[in-house]
Amino acid sequence: MVLHAMLGELVSLNMSNGVGEGGRTFQGSDFAYVLARIAVAHICESVEVNVYQKGVRFSSFQESALDTLTGVAVQYIQSIGKAAQFYANVAGRVESNSLDIVQALTDLGSGSGVSDIECCCLGDSGIVKDVIRYTGEAEEVPFVYALPRFPISKVKRDSPSFSEVGAEPPYEHIPVWLPAFPETNVGTIEGNGPSLPSIQHSFNGGGLQVLKSPKSARYSTQGEEEMEGNPFLAAPLRFVENEVSPVFRLLELSNEVVGINHVPDKHTSNNNSHIPVLEASTPTDGINNKNKLSESEGGEKKPQQNLLCFKIGTLKRPSCLAIKGSVQGLRWFQEGEVKREKKSETEENGERFDLANLGPDVVI
Amino acid sequence: MNHGQQSGEAKHEDDAALTEFLASLMDYTPTIPDDLVEHYLAKSGFQCPDVRLIRLVAVATQKFVADVASDALQHCRARPAPVVKDKKQQKDKRLVLTMEDLSKALREYGVNVKHPEYFADSPSTGMDPATRDE
Repeated sequence: MVLHAMLGELVSLNMSNGVGEGGRTFQGSDFAYVLARIAVAHICESVEVNVYQKGVRFSSFQESALDTLTGVAVQYIQSIGKAAQFYANVAGRVESNSLDIVQALTDLGSGSGVSDIECCCLGDSGIVKDVIRYTGEAEEVPFVYALPRFPISKVKRDSPSFSEVGAEPPYEHIPVWLPAFPETNVGTIEGNGPSLPSIQHSFNGGGLQVLKSPKSARYSTQGEEEMEGNPFLAAPLRFVENEVSPVFRLLELSNEVVGINHVPDKHTSNNNSHIPVLEASTPTDGINNKNKLSESEGGEKKPQQNLLCFKIGTLKRPSCLAIKGSVQGLRWFQEGEVKREKKSETEENGERFDLANLGPDVVI
Repeated sequence: MNHGQQSGEAKHEDDAALTEFLASLMDYTPTIPDDLVEHYLAKSGFQCPDVRLIRLVAVATQKFVADVASDALQHCRARPAPVVKDKKQQKDKRLVLTMEDLSKALREYGVNVKHPEYFADSPSTGMDPATRDE
């Protein structure tokens, strides 16, 4: 029987999981399930077997038995619904009618064994007669609680558009009728070691300070960073045109591979203005790389991933290491006007860190 | 042809009985509330705005549960009564719906419920104490 196939499996599953914890069809804490439990308990209570002119009823239940019976009843309702909808769909209808339900009930075999194949009229089927008889005989026990309409649907509140809020879209390609951007709360970032801007700050006034010895450089930047506060809340600095030409810098970079202490002075003056911009557009793994870099002991062989990489999204050999190819390897998603400055300062910083980090890693 | 006509008439009559029953359903309040039944029917994809059909399903389910419960009650009563120590004591036991009776009753309806006999919280539960590794 269909009932057997569906209910048996589910009930056995129910028993193995424990009621309400398996996350299966019925859950113990489900509102509908609890209501169903109460209803089933009512029904069981009203069942009476007449013995010697005296009605004998159940006086109490085992909890697991009640849960099982509730699960079976719920599954029964769902089976009726499914079968009735199936019959309606087969007949080309969307909504079921009473005949579909009667057919579904007959399919589930609820007609106390009535299986009259010749019966062409559903009204004549045993199940309907049984149900009619039942309503006539059984006592009417209405449900005790007044139920709210459930499930309660929440009214979805649309987020206001730009025009509703009165704000202007930040970019011209965004129309005013689109929802406004959420507020960006700049939270405090926990300082887990020197962050990118602090290290860059340390380059102010000459890289010599940093490049003396990598170890001391780290610790000095660490102290500085804590005093400066949250760099993300710092006021943005204006961009300054970088006069350094890339070609010239390349030559210098190649020279600097050899000598640690050879610092191109012309780069340092431009660092200050570009630090916040750089930091704002650096991806998080760039910052993390810096942190790792600063925390680790200088001069030791580090894994490739710890080295600074301003190239977004790659963990391969960082392009900043490839000093020769550093110009085209760097990508930024800021507007084009700032790109040049960024590229230049990235190269500077990349080169700085390479130098600071000089060791077997820098082998290209 | 006559038979066809006759069955046709019978059909109409029985349909009328169903229709009449549906109309009378509005007077009868099933124990299972309409909202609950509607919720579970909606879960399985059943769509119908007619309240009478919801009540029909509710009544059918109520009948089903009542049948199962009555069978379980009969199983419960049919079980041999415990030994009566005192002859004067009436056979007035309190009937409890147990898993045992319920599983017997449900089996007739095609639902197999097997309840574990005891709760085993360790692999050695139920074993002979002498053979346990402790």
